[in-house]
Amino acid sequence: MSPAGCSHVNAYKVDNWRQNLRVIYQCFVWSGSAEARRRKVLQNDVRWTALAKSCICHMCGAHLNRLHSCLSCVFFGCFTKKHIHEHAKNKRHNLAIDLLYGGIYCFVCQDYIYDKEMEQIAKEEQRKAWKLQGVGEKYSTWEPTKRELELLRHNPKRRKITTNCTIGLRGLINLGNTCFMNCIVQALTHTPLLRDFFLSDRHKCEMQSNSCLVCEMSQLFQEFYSGHRWPHIPFRLLHLVWTHARHLAGYEQQDAHEFLIAALDVLHRHCKGDTTRDDNGKKANNPNHCSCIIDQIFTGGLQSDVTCQVCHGVSTTIDPFWDISLDLPGSSTPFWPLSPGGDGSTVNGESHLSGATTLTDCLRRFTRPEHLGSSAKIKCGGCHSYQESTKQLTMKKLPIVACFHLKRFEHSAKLRRKITTYVSFPLELDMTPFIASSKESRMNGQYQQTVEVLNNDNKYSLFAVVNHQGTLESGHYTSFIRQHKDQWFKCDDAIITKASIKDVLDSEGYLLFYHKQFLEYE
Amino acid sequence: MSKDSKMRATINQKLTEMGERERLKELLRAKLTECGWRDQLKAHCKDVIKEKGLEHVTVEDLVVEITPKGRVLVPDSVKKELLQRIRAFLAQHAT
Repeated sequence: MSPAGCSHVNAYKVDNWRQNLRVIYQCFVWSGSAEARRRKVLQNDVRWTALAKSCICHMCGAHLNRLHSCLSCVFFGCFTKKHIHEHAKNKRHNLAIDLLYGGIYCFVCQDYIYDKEMEQIAKEEQRKAWKLQGVGEKYSTWEPTKRELELLRHNPKRRKITTNCTIGLRGLINLGNTCFMNCIVQALTHTPLLRDFFLSDRHKCEMQSNSCLVCEMSQLFQEFYSGHRWPHIPFRLLHLVWTHARHLAGYEQQDAHEFLIAALDVLHRHCKGDTTRDDNGKKANNPNHCSCIIDQIFTGGLQSDVTCQVCHGVSTTIDPFWDISLDLPGSSTPFWPLSPGGDGSTVNGESHLSGATTLTDCLRRFTRPEHLGSSAKIKCGGCHSYQESTKQLTMKKLPIVACFHLKRFEHSAKLRRKITTYVSFPLELDMTPFIASSKESRMNGQYQQTVEVLNNDNKYSLFAVVNHQGTLESGHYTSFIRQHKDQWFKCDDAIITKASIKDVLDSEGYLLFYHKQFLEYE
Repeated sequence: MSKDSKMRATINQKLTEMGERERLKELLRAKLTECGWRDQLKAHCKDVIKEKGLEHVTVEDLVVEITPKGRVLVPDSVKKELLQRIRAFLAQHAT
């Protein structure tokens, strides 16, 4: 079995063999229906019409049994029953093609052969067929180009990732109450899609000065995945943050959530060089349709429906979001009482022990219809007057990474305090009940799905947790991050320690980062 | 051709013509990957190749080794689901 094909194909590679081979692929291997096949056959070669009406064995009429087509004439035969072998021997036609997978079989070599030119034709025809079927591009394994092979040969050093290796883990020195920044850096450097973007060097900087935060992030990823084990000192990052987000400057303790939003904002602004170009090579300048990596990963769409209580007309707006801030019980905002989901019931793998609040509870509260009251009447487009209405928030577009912010810091006029209520959060989260116009969201999460939803698009996995210990006046941030699917590590500035899943799930939780489980090509 | 295989051929033709065969194939692919069937057989392939030696193994060797194992390892739930789909399709498009 050699990748260079076999010598017997040379007898086949005469005259118009390329076109003939293409016809076979188009009509019999990659075609969708008998009708399409009939049409293609009529287009290409009249000789094939009569015999090629349907793909069945010319000896026994079966369509299973690994049907093969002779390459030299119009003959279909079973492989399993050796009908094609008989034909090959009788007619001395040495080559046949497997109609299921397109492989070429040589009866002399008695094995499938892989000829470069024929493989090329097969690939092209398959791509064409997928396009016709509306499937688009399907995943195919990477095959290096000549240039890439050259580069690989010139750079022989390889880093092997085993299940126990600690690559990607690095401590961060605290530069004076900068644990709020360190935690967010840990979360971002362990966001899989962001890591892949930076490690494959996809940022093309268009900033003239040295103050591009995206370049600095790129450097940071290089540091984290360098394999160095001593803690990294992020002084350049801190300086850039002070430069671009003045309100975070200074050595006081800042809010990690505020830092996250500020960092995403600056990164998004500095990513201008990486926005996709339209067909004319012009850059997409529309601020509402940014396709930088930050928007691709973090931006979701929040739908707000305001329903007039008189005419029941609905006015809808959709706003982009990078995070969801959730109110907690015990805060001074009203409307907390919630109809329980049933005692001892498990939703999303969280235990509903009486009293314990779950992340799902908070999400349900966030997406419940809210009566806006007589003092907040909205002008209704249908009634042309001010009417009472209800407002409901739901997820229109789910981001790839969903960040939940538990509003633990209360800054009302009367008091400033930290709400330390325990909120239990799951490892796996299903956002289906909260998406716009799902039956569940209309019934505000009370509708229990009895049929298993085939749609995996709304399933998320936890990959980072940022925690705050202490009080509003003096506190400390730490984070948990996930490596290798089920290994968790606690990051306390420069100190990284192994953590159990229980440690993570028992922690208080301030910022929760979830990643979509299944990603689709666009 | 026996009555059984005649019926099979007719059903297959109907499925192919309406594009249902391709859809069922995709569904089956997804289900078998999800439940780990594909990975199991991939591992078995590697074992066979190691046993026979990379230079001497043929596709036929693999087919002979993998086919019976593959058939046995398909979970009942997957079989049931596919069968249901085919039944529903035929009921819908009965002539």
